[in-house]
Amino acid sequence: MKAADKVTGGAFLALGLALVASGLGLPAGVGGQPGAGFFPQAIGGLMAVLACGLLLKRGEDSADESFGISNAGQVAGTAALLLGYLLLWGTGFFVVRTAVFLALALRFLGQGWLPSAAYGVAMSSVVYLAFSIGLNVSLE
Amino acid sequence: MTADILAGLSAVLSLQVLGFLAVGVSLGAVFGSLPGLTATMGVAILTPLTFWVSPEQGLAMLLGIYCGAIPAGGIPAILINVPGTPASIATSWDGYPLARKGRAGLALGVNALASAAGQLTSILFLAFLAFPIASFALKFGPAEYFGLALLGISLMAGVSGRHVLKGLLAGTLGLALALVGLDPMTAYPRYTFGMSEFLDGVSFVPVMIGLFGLAEVLVQVSERHAGKASPPSAIGRVLPRTEEARTMLGATFAGATVGTMVGAVPAAGGDIGSVIAWEQARRASKDKAAFGKGSLQGLAASCSACNAAIGGAMTTMLTLGIPGDAVSAILIGALLIHGIQPGPLLFENRQEFVFSIVFLLVFASLLILGIGLLGARPLARILRVPAPWLWTGIVLFGTVGAYALNNTVADVWAMYAAGVAGFLFRKARIPLGPLVLGLILGPMMESNLRRALILSRGDWLVLLARPILVAFLAGTVLSLLWPLLRAHRSASKPNQRAVSNV
Repeated sequence: MKAADKVTGGAFLALGLALVASGLGLPAGVGGQPGAGFFPQAIGGLMAVLACGLLLKRGEDSADESFGISNAGQVAGTAALLLGYLLLWGTGFFVVRTAVFLALALRFLGQGWLPSAAYGVAMSSVVYLAFSIGLNVSLE
Repeated sequence: MTADILAGLSAVLSLQVLGFLAVGVSLGAVFGSLPGLTATMGVAILTPLTFWVSPEQGLAMLLGIYCGAIPAGGIPAILINVPGTPASIATSWDGYPLARKGRAGLALGVNALASAAGQLTSILFLAFLAFPIASFALKFGPAEYFGLALLGISLMAGVSGRHVLKGLLAGTLGLALALVGLDPMTAYPRYTFGMSEFLDGVSFVPVMIGLFGLAEVLVQVSERHAGKASPPSAIGRVLPRTEEARTMLGATFAGATVGTMVGAVPAAGGDIGSVIAWEQARRASKDKAAFGKGSLQGLAASCSACNAAIGGAMTTMLTLGIPGDAVSAILIGALLIHGIQPGPLLFENRQEFVFSIVFLLVFASLLILGIGLLGARPLARILRVPAPWLWTGIVLFGTVGAYALNNTVADVWAMYAAGVAGFLFRKARIPLGPLVLGLILGPMMESNLRRALILSRGDWLVLLARPILVAFLAGTVLSLLWPLLRAHRSASKPNQRAVSNV
């Protein structure tokens, strides 16, 4: 069995069993009428059965199906930049923080400082005009 | 009747009405092509503006938005693998691979042509078969709705090729996510972890943007230096050749029929219709292996079906006064404010108004066809933008689009979480389509199954006496077993690889 399938199957099995267990704690229903716990248990049970099927499935690992993240540094860096941008959401100065985020992200992905900064300012201004002024979405 | 047709036509053949229609179609194209902005949002925002104009002018603008947004949702699905609307998920399955092969122009051209064909076909159904379609849709009770939702999810999981099990697991994960929030029947809070943001449940639009948009960006960043990500800068021709058009004809009209029928069913729309039509086209095609890898037939079927759902939804709305989807629910409100009550009496008393709507839909379809074909080449140039610029643009528009839905940062967190999950799922070869469909259809499935069980006093066997439900259940079983049997049969033929990128 493929390692990725093992991890996937195990994770889904755990989630399915957790759903069944948590569903038992929800109202079961009255007089044959299913309550709030009915569907979580049904979905959890189905998920657990399917996960067992995946865990028991036989298959050969192949190079193109192996679970590997190439260029992991850039992916992690991009994810970190995204997280930073998200954590700053709602702190005001939308145009400034968005322009800085875009410029940093582009620089990180190998673009020059000047075009990155220009792109950041232009895009953040366009988005601000379209959403905040055009559609009255409060971006601050 | 001829007098009513002519009266309906003359009511819309005015510069003001056509102007409102053109504005509506253009705004709809903007709303549809920006992930996070939906046709529902566009119609809802602009409905108040129509109260100061005549019913024809107001309706022209609102119908224009509706007809413009749905085909435009296919544009980002094709160019950047981010469906602009939930109905265009299936469009990305063949549209995006075509763009990656340097045929973005053709994919956009087919999107425009098949969308217009789907809309026009469904309008014909509306004009001539409105009542039979609506009465078929009215036969749907809770059990049938449950069966329809189940069929939709299983079809999507079933087309996951060698990964049917993973497709089903993704579908159940979507259903599990749909459990978050208030129980649809008793309003009992479930899996909210004490956070009020979760009471409304997990919004599917941010999840969709994350799974398809952010995850795609992360995948491309990951494959950038691995030599796998090839920037598709070529655009190619826009119009299909005669032989290509001929192969797409059957899929387009079958898709339009499926889309109209599904769209006519209240609360079911282009999202389910396009999946069913795509799978139907794949089964009917001689070149099944091309589906999911850039098949023109697959693209035509899905585009046609998701647009035909408009005519289906309008049919139910006008004949019965029941909204076929969220947009038609808002349209009913707008009509009522203008003093027009949708329902059977509308066809008796205001037949000329019904024909006005028919002609407005026809003109809107032709307008969006023109915009789609003329705009295909300039739009496809987006692929020539350097990849990092495109990635940051997708992230920015996705983030702001997710936030704009409810003005809440929780939706942005949901989008980012879905993006990371989608990236890991892509790496683990877990199909994303069933997850989104499970999330969309989960509440419909649960509430209708529970309603059906209440009506049958908990007796499951009573449900099996309903022929439409039995047909859906049979379709569900077939859709799941067929790929497994095919995979078993083709185990000795390693060159026959099934579709796996849905």
